[in-house]
Amino acid sequence: MDHEETEMISRCQQGDQEALKEIFDKYNRKVYRIAYGVVRQREEALDIVQEVFIKLFHTIKNFKGRSRFYTYLYRMTMNTAIDHARRLGKHSVSSLDEEGSFEPSDTLEKGPERILLQKELEERVKRAMDKLPAEQRAALIFRDVEGLSYQEMAEAMGSSIGTVMSRLHYGRKRLQELLKDYVGLGQDRDSPDPKGQLPRSKQN
Amino acid sequence: MGVRRTGEGSNHLVRKLPFLLILIILFFSLFLSQAYAQVQVRLRAIHASNAGSSVDPSLSDLHKELGSLFTFTSYRLMREETLNLFLNKPVSISAHEGRIVLEATLVGLHKNMAEIKLKVVREGIEILNTQVRLLPGRTILLGGPKHLRGGVVIYALYGRF
Amino acid sequence: MKDSCSLVSKLLEKYFDREVTDKERALVEGHLHGCPACRNALKSLEGLSAFIKAPVEEAVQKEDFPWVWQKIQREIRLQKKLTWWQSLRSWVNVSPLFKRRVWIPAVAMVVVLLFITAEIIFRKIPSYPDVSVVEYVESETDNVMVYQLEKQKVTVIWVFDEPGKDQTTS
Repeated sequence: MDHEETEMISRCQQGDQEALKEIFDKYNRKVYRIAYGVVRQREEALDIVQEVFIKLFHTIKNFKGRSRFYTYLYRMTMNTAIDHARRLGKHSVSSLDEEGSFEPSDTLEKGPERILLQKELEERVKRAMDKLPAEQRAALIFRDVEGLSYQEMAEAMGSSIGTVMSRLHYGRKRLQELLKDYVGLGQDRDSPDPKGQLPRSKQN
Repeated sequence: MGVRRTGEGSNHLVRKLPFLLILIILFFSLFLSQAYAQVQVRLRAIHASNAGSSVDPSLSDLHKELGSLFTFTSYRLMREETLNLFLNKPVSISAHEGRIVLEATLVGLHKNMAEIKLKVVREGIEILNTQVRLLPGRTILLGGPKHLRGGVVIYALYGRF
Repeated sequence: MKDSCSLVSKLLEKYFDREVTDKERALVEGHLHGCPACRNALKSLEGLSAFIKAPVEEAVQKEDFPWVWQKIQREIRLQKKLTWWQSLRSWVNVSPLFKRRVWIPAVAMVVVLLFITAEIIFRKIPSYPDVSVVEYVESETDNVMVYQLEKQKVTVIWVFDEPGKDQTTS
């Protein structure tokens, strides 16, 4: 933790809202990234960001500097996001009801098949992520979304590295199972992939 | 879509297993404690006679009582046992080369009180049938069966609570 | 090939996460060169990661957090401070003491210890002043006498054994 951040945290612990604003400016995107990774809805993710920083202001006195500040913040964010996700229910809102959802006619105009599949896949990934236990979901988000190292993840999740690796492994395995129709995930359509791009159900 | 249990799910249950086991053990120990009730009884078989005037050193704790109760001059320890009596499980102890058998059965156990059924069988004939309450600090002397070499056999029972 | 596939497949995720040692990296990269199956497995990991990350990145880039800071300020002003219960809850959420793997075994241990020691701690030796020591006594062959020395706490049950005598009931 650099000196500037230490000083910022210290001022915030004394109730300085300006210091909180500085922390907010520094970390709001990261917090949003984690929140969105869990709930995959903009409004909910923004609510989570708001809640996290309010909570942080009231509880930052408990931060003793034993871990890195950002892992402390990420843990708070993940716990808050998972609570929100639980309140939302197991199945998050269908993408067809979301702002910015597409109509079949739209997709036909924009090069339809690819966009349609993209949206469908995103929705499938969201639903599959919702099916994962909270700890596995958290591990995948910390790793694939936020890019934390195993050590950082262990700190943020309050676990050992071995547990982190196990959660990652089983989370990925489960996701691959849930998304097994979408073989060759993420590959360019034009690349010579003998397995093909389309879901099996859509293949002729 | 059916989802297979992952290792993570199994690990979750395995982690909780010790806690569940402790709960189960506590639960059963509460309810099965009566079934496995037991009491420890110190039993001594004594040959009391007028042949000689010695008192076995291991009977020194009883000497005063024996002296005030009986007029025998000699007390010899024939056998000493610590019995673990379980509810409704008879235990037999023979003395005097098997001629006299004492059968003890725990029939009830309360806080610091054991109800014990005692039978004395001499050469196959039941000569005494009694039920006693063993209390802390109390000694029960069961005596009278004749010894072949003169004198009598006395059983001394003392409960350990 | 099969053996090294088995070995490399265990390292593949670590390799993908860039958490391998130099030696492990060399091993994996050397194997990937000649193994389409492991290359496909790696691509699958990459694809999965892309689909987890891509929508999030897109959302973060588009976001300008309108009014979020203002809302936070207003809430802090309104709340002034969390109630004691909310402070406790927040503390519970982050405190390592309240991690389930800490408090569950701790509580279980306390319960077991209490259970084991409760009898010793709370034991009161009950007295049975009025209870009789001898409940019943019978003999089909001889007379029986019961005698008690209260001071010495001794109870005597005496059977007047006369072998060979006619049977009498007492």
